[in-house]
Amino acid sequence: MEGLLGGFATVFQPATLMYCFIGVFLGTIVGILPGLGPLTTIALLLPITYKMDVTSAIIMLSGIYYGVAYGGTITSVLMRIPGEASSVVTCLDGYEMARKGRAGAALGIAAIGSFVAGTIGVVAVSYLSPPLSRWVLAFGPAEYAMVMLAGLSLVTYFSSGSRLKALLMAGFGLLLGAVGSDPLAAAPRLTFGIFHLTGGIDLAPLAIGLFGISEVLSMVLRKKEKMQVLAPPSSLLGFMPNREEARRSVGPVARGTVLGFIVGLIPGGGAVLATFLSYAVEKKLSKHPEQFGKGAVEGLAGPESANNSGTAGAFVPLLCMGVPANAITALLLGAFMIHGVAPGPTIMERQPELFWGVIASMYVGNVMLLVLNLPLVGLFVKILDVPRAWLAPIILTVCLIGVYSTNSAAMDVLLAVMFGVIGYILRRYGYDLGIVILAYVLGVIFERSVRQALAISDGDLGIFVSSPLTITFAVITAVLVGLAFVPRKRAPGPADAAIAVAEVSQVK
Amino acid sequence: MTFSGARWTALGLFCAAAAAFWQATKLSRWGFDGPGPGLYPQVIAAICMALALLVLALDRGDPAPVATDDDEAVARYDLAGPQERRTFHIYLLALVVLVAGSWLAGFIVTSLAVTIITMRFAEGVSWRATLITAAIIALAGVIVFSWLLQVSLPEGPADLAFRALLRQGGLL
Repeated sequence: MEGLLGGFATVFQPATLMYCFIGVFLGTIVGILPGLGPLTTIALLLPITYKMDVTSAIIMLSGIYYGVAYGGTITSVLMRIPGEASSVVTCLDGYEMARKGRAGAALGIAAIGSFVAGTIGVVAVSYLSPPLSRWVLAFGPAEYAMVMLAGLSLVTYFSSGSRLKALLMAGFGLLLGAVGSDPLAAAPRLTFGIFHLTGGIDLAPLAIGLFGISEVLSMVLRKKEKMQVLAPPSSLLGFMPNREEARRSVGPVARGTVLGFIVGLIPGGGAVLATFLSYAVEKKLSKHPEQFGKGAVEGLAGPESANNSGTAGAFVPLLCMGVPANAITALLLGAFMIHGVAPGPTIMERQPELFWGVIASMYVGNVMLLVLNLPLVGLFVKILDVPRAWLAPIILTVCLIGVYSTNSAAMDVLLAVMFGVIGYILRRYGYDLGIVILAYVLGVIFERSVRQALAISDGDLGIFVSSPLTITFAVITAVLVGLAFVPRKRAPGPADAAIAVAEVSQVK
Repeated sequence: MTFSGARWTALGLFCAAAAAFWQATKLSRWGFDGPGPGLYPQVIAAICMALALLVLALDRGDPAPVATDDDEAVARYDLAGPQERRTFHIYLLALVVLVAGSWLAGFIVTSLAVTIITMRFAEGVSWRATLITAAIIALAGVIVFSWLLQVSLPEGPADLAFRALLRQGGLL
């Protein structure tokens, strides 16, 4: 409790509060704009945070992450266009509610459900993190290596598209992380004689290229369409659900919160999976499943809550173990590392103001988002009127600034453009690039753990299956990697459905 | 065996992994105090080569682009109309200018050139609107990032001249 109060003291400093506001505000805008995801935005802003103090930087970047979940709801309800993939399920019943004249209630239920779930999620993070950190402190290098391997395998298992390709991307992410000086002996590796690469490939050119530049190239190929927007309510009272809607929301919000948080903890689980699972659970539990897809309140309240608590849940493995659960938290881990901070079990003791500051900022950020979202819906929707012609040069200029400022090197700009083109091609052929970033960020810690473990055991690989914990993680890894070689026979996954709904919405 | 774009991509990944493996073989796998710098990249590159070969062998179709947790599916070049393709090519040119400009011309000129290429030539925005937007973006970049946030930007003659102007006006 003391730590949390200290965190609030950090957040309520004017400058930190401003960065928290900038983060959640940007997150909302990014959530509204289709095509510009939180990954792209965090990647673009990452280098700009170099000059900021670490607490403010992480608070701002985290604000973007959880702010996106709110913003994505607005376009899903009013336009049937998910601003980002985790808002896809909201399109199904949220938009139908809006068509029936309940747009305000849909936005209100989503915002309140998101606030409740986000806040409970943060409370859970505050209470779960200390015991988990104490447990992780007992890990040796072999345990760490196996946790990371199992985490990477889980991410590839849950990825959309071919799991084999996901594994390949994980391999390439690890390989890209190995470029530059060897972390233990400082010998240059995989540099192909290029001096600039002896320092390694920086996160900024890689992330900005793979997500920022490749997204611009993709955006250009989309047809320009005028989007139709259903009118949001003009007064705050218009956002209030009626008694029946409020009663029907309580259970789904509670279930979505718990489910989302648990799924958020799992590497690769992510908000998309949480929303689809919550939707499936609510439909299963409902006495009127036939109403789902036609404006069922439960189909909106559950997934929206799961989305937000899942985002909070993803912070637990990041802060307590230094293991990101998805590509966005991998970028946040990168941000920590750039500022010389290694998140993990000792962060709570070594940098309590940072740890608790980030957690407290999530409470404050959730309140900001609730206050921002309802009254300003009309204004946010207007952002969609910004044409691509204006958006693209701004993104490219920010890419240039973000990439160059990392090392003051034009070579990084070349690398970013190369990664942008390669990223576009890889995405076109069904490769999931989020895994590249995740593996790249984990690569250095993973290699260090593997080599330390091998040095301890004098090369005996048995160290990786020498304790119940390592055996458990080894079994998980083996099963998940084995499944990558089995052709998928299941129904299309969440992200496949995301594409389908997005395509349907654009046709409509 | 016909070579689709998907297969060319897998082949490209195989070649990249093979090149990395070849580079890594020059480093020692084991030293006096444990694993050497070459062990880890050799193992990872070998796994990548094997996986790329598997993808190459198994990827027969033309897979749909995937949407990840965080962004939507990429738009396909092969399905785009002639107008979108032309725009795409001009954007590629803008990327070339972005790289060359950051090397040779500095931030202001590069930013102006990229904005003009994308807005005027790719998107067909009027010259007036293009030039005003280009000037605003370049100016905002210099003032917000270079001046206020102290972020380093590529330097060219225009940037140096602008800074001299600011210094003359007592602003620096």
